Amino acid sequence: MSRKSVVTYTLSRCVKCLKCVKACPVSALSMAHDRIQVNQARCINCGRCIQACHNKGLLAKGSTLEDINSYEYTVCMVPSAMTSVCSTKQEAGEIFYAIKQLGFDEVVDLSPVEGQLMHESHMLAEADENSNGISSQCPVINRLIETQYPMLIDHVIPLNYASEVMAKQIRKKYPDRQIGIFLCCECEAKLALAKYPYGNNEYETDHALALVDILPMIRKYLHQGTAEVHFARSGLQSCNPAVMMQRDDLLIADGFDKVNNILSMEEFGLLDSFHMMYLFPCFNGCIGGHLLWGNSYLSRNNLDELTRGDSRPDSAYPIEELYAEHIASSQDDPRTLKEKMEYFRKVNEQLEKLPGYDCSACGLQTCRIMAEEIVNGNKTIDDCRIHHSMSLGKDGRK
Amino acid sequence: MTVIMHEEYSVERDDFANAGTVSSHIKETLRQIGINPKLLRRIAVASYEAEINMIIHAYGGKVTMDVEDNGLIRMVFKDPGPGIPDLEKALTPGWSTASEKARELGFGAGMGLPNIKRVSDEFNIESSPQGTTLTLGFRGTA
Repeated sequence: MSRKSVVTYTLSRCVKCLKCVKACPVSALSMAHDRIQVNQARCINCGRCIQACHNKGLLAKGSTLEDINSYEYTVCMVPSAMTSVCSTKQEAGEIFYAIKQLGFDEVVDLSPVEGQLMHESHMLAEADENSNGISSQCPVINRLIETQYPMLIDHVIPLNYASEVMAKQIRKKYPDRQIGIFLCCECEAKLALAKYPYGNNEYETDHALALVDILPMIRKYLHQGTAEVHFARSGLQSCNPAVMMQRDDLLIADGFDKVNNILSMEEFGLLDSFHMMYLFPCFNGCIGGHLLWGNSYLSRNNLDELTRGDSRPDSAYPIEELYAEHIASSQDDPRTLKEKMEYFRKVNEQLEKLPGYDCSACGLQTCRIMAEEIVNGNKTIDDCRIHHSMSLGKDGRK
Repeated sequence: MTVIMHEEYSVERDDFANAGTVSSHIKETLRQIGINPKLLRRIAVASYEAEINMIIHAYGGKVTMDVEDNGLIRMVFKDPGPGIPDLEKALTPGWSTASEKARELGFGAGMGLPNIKRVSDEFNIESSPQGTTLTLGFRGTA
């Protein structure tokens, strides 16, 4: 599965304030040689660094509409999170129409697949008596568990993303055509679920579009016509914690800190009474995605309106079309316990010498990371600015 | 056999506000060392339960963790009383003596000791009115 970070860095806009380095929940960012470095192996594409930068020095950009021209036949997939910005079905119909006018041959609503995946997730979680399940629909959660909570890897439900399930079906439908499959993305992480622009070739989806990028074009075609839309209620519900089905054995949470808190509780086995956990790192779930426009509280109200009345049934693809392992089982650390302890001891020894402010002035997020880098031979204690200034005499010399 | 790491923590009686602090510390330390996640999960589950038992049922106590060079991780939970009157019952799933206050907070389902026994490789418990000592051993691919 994808390991590419979607975060791109614009050196000219960077004021070297280190806000992004401090904001990263997984210590993936550092500053070296006056540039922000993104550790690809650690980055979970949560976008918190992008939000933290007040100067747009960090961005996540998708493909552009020009890519439509490279294909004979193009399909655009629209997730429920995007539909939620429409206050009525009429407005949703106009938006779907406008998207088609951008040059697509077909616009596909993902809500039936999202609904099916939600129900299949429940079934799989209930069938497993030994442990509870964690929904695998958010790529950030999957990467967070893989890198920070490996104890919980077995809990992740092995079902594919809605966009990937759909993309496979679209490809099957047009075996003889040179087809381009596009995905509208409500958040940074979903941009990585396509081949381009980040080169994640394992996906069926060809291009990811950031919704904010195509919004001006969509507006141009608004109110000029309408497409027939018919949403699956459960799919729309699956993208927001407040309108999701509420049950005693379901744990639904949104917000990065809460999600972290829940995962560390589950490491102690404290949440075994829940069959299934839906964890959204974004406030208000996927409708709070950073690449959407509008206000996620309004979108939440829109969902009430959009889910009213007649609902389209969920899709009914056979289960083998839905499976996907999101996380390769963790690589065993080849070191012996003795070697691990020795390294741990050396790091702590260096940590003792550091001020412990976690000020990031050295470019690394915490003093512990600095201590590790000293032990790894990549830094010296003099790279710590606090330590350095304290070791100077009154005349500023050593 | 040599002990290559020794840590000590104390747990206060009825200190619900800090429930889980010691086991969180143990979990974080072992994570930093790089202990295998599967082994760490068992240690996390057992140490949390044992810590909560000390807060709810005992007058607080001391926790020690030793890492031995042969790969054994040993934890000892030692409290100064009041002791478990009927050990056999305490080891029966579902049997609980937790106070109303503890139950209101979601603790005391009667699965504490049975769960600890299930996840640990070595389990020994001794109890008298002068105190209870729970000794746990864990081994596995470290």
